[in-house]
Amino acid sequence: MTVPALEMRGIVKTFPGVLALSGVDLTVQSGSIHAIVGENGAGKSTLVKILSGMYQPSAGEIRIDGAPVALASPADAARFGIAMVHQELNLAPDLTVAENVFLGRTPRRGPFVDRKALHTGAAGILATIGARLNLDAEVGGLSVSQQQLVEIAKAYAAGPRIIVLDEPTSSLSEHESQALFGVLRRMRAQGTAVIYISHRLREVLAIADEVTVLRDGALAGARLREGLTATEMIHLMVGRDVSDLFPKHAATIGEPLLEIEGLSDGLRVHDVSLTVRAGEIVGMTGLVGAGRTEVARAIVGLGPRTAGRIRVHGHDVAPRNPAEARRAGIAYVPEDRKRDGIVPSLSVRENITLPILSSLSRLGWVRARAERAEAQGQARRLGISPPDPERRISLLSGGNQQKTVIARWLAARPSVLILDEPTRGVDVGAKAEIHAIIGDLVSQGLGVLMISSELPEVMAVSDRVYVMHEGRIAPPLGRDELDERRIMALATGEEGL
Amino acid sequence: MSTAPLVKPRHVARSTLAVAGSLALPIAILAVLFFGTAASPNFLSVSNLLNVLTSMSIIGVIVVAMTFVLVSGGLADLSVPATVAMGAILTLALQPVLGTIGAFAAGVLAAGGAGLLNGVLVGYARINAIIATLATGTVILGVAQWVVGGVIVYGADPTSGNLLKGRIGGVPTLVLIFAAAVILGHLLLSHTVWGRWTRATGDSLPAATAAAVPVRLVSAGAFVLTGIASGISGGLLALTLQNARPGIGEGYEFDSITAVVVGGVSILGGQGSVPRAVGGLIFVQLLTNVMTLMGVRTPVQGLALGLLIVAAVALDLAVRKRGGA
Amino acid sequence: MTQFLLWAVRYRVLVILLTVLSVAIMVVPGFASPITVGLALDRAASMGLIAVGLTVLLAAGQIDLSGGAVFAVAGIVAVVLQPVIGIWPAAAVGTLAGLMAGAINGFVVVGLGVNSLVATLATLLAFRAIGHWITQSQPVSGIDIMVALAISQVHWGVLTLRAGLFLALILLLHVWLTRTVAGRNLLALGSSPEAARSSGLRPGRMIILAFIGAGVLAGGAGVLQSLAVNTGSPVFGSDMTIFALTAVVVGGTRLEGGRATALGTLGGVLTLATLTTGMEFSSVPAYVQEVVTGTILLTLIVLDRFARQQAAMT
Repeated sequence: MTVPALEMRGIVKTFPGVLALSGVDLTVQSGSIHAIVGENGAGKSTLVKILSGMYQPSAGEIRIDGAPVALASPADAARFGIAMVHQELNLAPDLTVAENVFLGRTPRRGPFVDRKALHTGAAGILATIGARLNLDAEVGGLSVSQQQLVEIAKAYAAGPRIIVLDEPTSSLSEHESQALFGVLRRMRAQGTAVIYISHRLREVLAIADEVTVLRDGALAGARLREGLTATEMIHLMVGRDVSDLFPKHAATIGEPLLEIEGLSDGLRVHDVSLTVRAGEIVGMTGLVGAGRTEVARAIVGLGPRTAGRIRVHGHDVAPRNPAEARRAGIAYVPEDRKRDGIVPSLSVRENITLPILSSLSRLGWVRARAERAEAQGQARRLGISPPDPERRISLLSGGNQQKTVIARWLAARPSVLILDEPTRGVDVGAKAEIHAIIGDLVSQGLGVLMISSELPEVMAVSDRVYVMHEGRIAPPLGRDELDERRIMALATGEEGL
Repeated sequence: MSTAPLVKPRHVARSTLAVAGSLALPIAILAVLFFGTAASPNFLSVSNLLNVLTSMSIIGVIVVAMTFVLVSGGLADLSVPATVAMGAILTLALQPVLGTIGAFAAGVLAAGGAGLLNGVLVGYARINAIIATLATGTVILGVAQWVVGGVIVYGADPTSGNLLKGRIGGVPTLVLIFAAAVILGHLLLSHTVWGRWTRATGDSLPAATAAAVPVRLVSAGAFVLTGIASGISGGLLALTLQNARPGIGEGYEFDSITAVVVGGVSILGGQGSVPRAVGGLIFVQLLTNVMTLMGVRTPVQGLALGLLIVAAVALDLAVRKRGGA
Repeated sequence: MTQFLLWAVRYRVLVILLTVLSVAIMVVPGFASPITVGLALDRAASMGLIAVGLTVLLAAGQIDLSGGAVFAVAGIVAVVLQPVIGIWPAAAVGTLAGLMAGAINGFVVVGLGVNSLVATLATLLAFRAIGHWITQSQPVSGIDIMVALAISQVHWGVLTLRAGLFLALILLLHVWLTRTVAGRNLLALGSSPEAARSSGLRPGRMIILAFIGAGVLAGGAGVLQSLAVNTGSPVFGSDMTIFALTAVVVGGTRLEGGRATALGTLGGVLTLATLTTGMEFSSVPAYVQEVVTGTILLTLIVLDRFARQQAAMT
């Protein structure tokens, strides 16, 4: 019985107000590829952040090759041969590709950088992983998928004992993904323990030897890949049938509420056109970096807009900022809840009423009773828990924070609601609630544009789906045309737009 | 089918540190009062305390405005000495031409204009506030001196300061002005749309932007406020002293920032209130008074203030890190 | 036309330096003589030494406002101790005082976790207070005027000891930032503290060392200044920080960290030195000098922001 390369036992992790991991076990053998799957908010990222030394477990034990270790910092983790490819890219934008690949272990001659070794080494590694990049280019100027390749190269360069990849293919093309799989198989053959986090079940089935499923911060099950099916994985991940998760309300589809023609932002978005009609849930999907968020931001004035027409209820509008967008009837719930969504020190009430404060005030003085009434109404309607609107929003769970941000924009009485990854980082219970809310809204005549990377979600609730690829948009797929393979083909560029 | 324990947010009891953080200021003020009474017989006299209150009033107006700068995430306004000087110099220089009130208004307007410049640079051009206000301060101070040919300006009418040096209803006029500023400032920050926008902008600029808050206007406005407040203070100073040197506002920027920071207003933005800033001011002024009465020399006082800032900020950070308050 | 403007913005340091130089030569009689150049360089040197330290700190994403105060205190220490332990040992102790000041800054920022802006604002107050305390707010005289003359002596027509030291350090800084592991790591830290930490670098240690370096430089500059004028004074260096900061920012080093250029700092320092010397020579009153310097700084900062936005668009 070989000693596993990695054993994590009984890992518990708490943050203020949140129990992120409640006693998770993970065992990974040398020379194997071990996938960790789970919904957003299941705890996958937290678990690997503990492994990479960025977080410390509140309780539990970690053993490497049988010996207990303490990973107090990333430097510790590096010393034990753990390399990590992060989901949120962790590169120094002002340094070059070659410098980033070797950051922290730069080849040197005395105090000086050994440029020749740096270049040859970096070139070699990039070739191995099949990436064609300019070694002297500043990383900050690269596209997201190129940056991801640099991250992978950096981890590979460390010659690690254990390598962890967190959603590594989220912005890679099909071709680049296959090349990555080749690298991972090679590493497996060399005896490295590969930990692969993904919620792309198709990939997991293609590459993994063993699978650990997390759900709501706990271990839902660990299986060998042999004989494992996607359905069983989903069942473990979700705890119930998928169809329950995304209840689809039938709603009458009415007039076009939002019409976008030829939208460009001069950077990532080229000539995008789409329509959202009353009572409709329009899904918008694509790979990370495809430009979906940029489209939304361009519409409401959070990002540049160099060309295009926007019509709401048939009237031309040109919002230069979210306030003008709101007046035009368009509301946008941002993708990054932590950065662009919540105002952390303010209460739930203050967060909800922020865009409409002027209308709840007289001559600049806030009318407290009117504000409280509005906030309480929204909170109740969306089931925000705990139901005290005076509570600081930073103390709420991810799901409730998301509901608060949605409530904020509902308070603005929009005609069209754009939701960007509305259920990311939200636990399963809240996810269903949010989808119920969305269904409710459209049945009242609102139009919803839902940007999401989660195919099951998109396919289950959308009336029509737009797929974006590298800044361009494909004609919408109707509900009867929805097919996972077709959508992926459009998203990765295999099928031309 | 039973599921794994759901992720439940636990109600966080306010950590001891957080409670300590919010009580620290009143306790500190009480401590200084006790210490002062013990250290010097002159301390607890009406005349001494009234003196402290009066000298506090001039910088107090600036402290109220500086609170907005910090809470909105504007870091700091280092051009205060220049705008104070501008207000002071113009008030006395233009007095023969525009009369006392007119000259005072001109001084405040000019200072407010300087604040507008700061506001545009920091709020709209998004330049680092420290650099911007350091630079504009240099320019403004130079311009203020240039305008009068580099000389010290003296008051033409010695009686013009009498109202300010006197009392209304038993309370020194300057203190009344300060009190008015405090009340106005507090109401503005805590009960108006503008105040809410200020707090949101400082707490999370991207989130406030996405939530339709006019963040650039709010950021700029804070600096206009400090400009106006400094102009007012400068004018008041000039009328009370009946002279205006270019160095008249020296140290005011550090003093006001110290007061605000010691009061628990975070330099990172979002947290804080006018009462807290005023509390910090009271503490610092009382402490300085005690040290002066004890014969502690100015440089040592400066050292103590420096240590105070560090201690206050470190405490604030420690409280924040534990997720309390 | 737009092409020219874009080029001008990109090489703005050089453009501004040449502009200022040309104006100075035209407007100020006798500006283009070796004596004036030597004087300007010597002037530049004090500010320049502080600017070098600032460049390193900015590269790491930190700032130091206390340089001017450290300058004053180090000089005071060097002068005050002269009768006690001799001129050169006193000078060494003065520089050591600079080192300790840097260490204190480093401790407050790293150990206590205080934002470097606030921290160095506080230490600025504290150090200046110490300076006033030691000297009772009066300037103090040194014991040997001959040393002062020796330090101010001009070699090869244009270079004083300080100017030479400054130029040497700029060269060293350039090599350090572009070719050494430590320098590149520091830039990585300023560029992305997260990336640096997760790559196993030790941000705390790097930042403390950077502050110590800046402290030594400011202290050394202060010691040299006090020796050169045979005086220590608590008000020396009051404008130093803003001048040095101006020079560094003018030169293109980014305030937020991650991008630093030694040659840029050189250009910035030379520009400011030309400006101040030129204005002095034309008997421009101090307050007008302030207006000019401040306006140039503002213009450059705005241009820099504009240039960066353009770069981001392409």
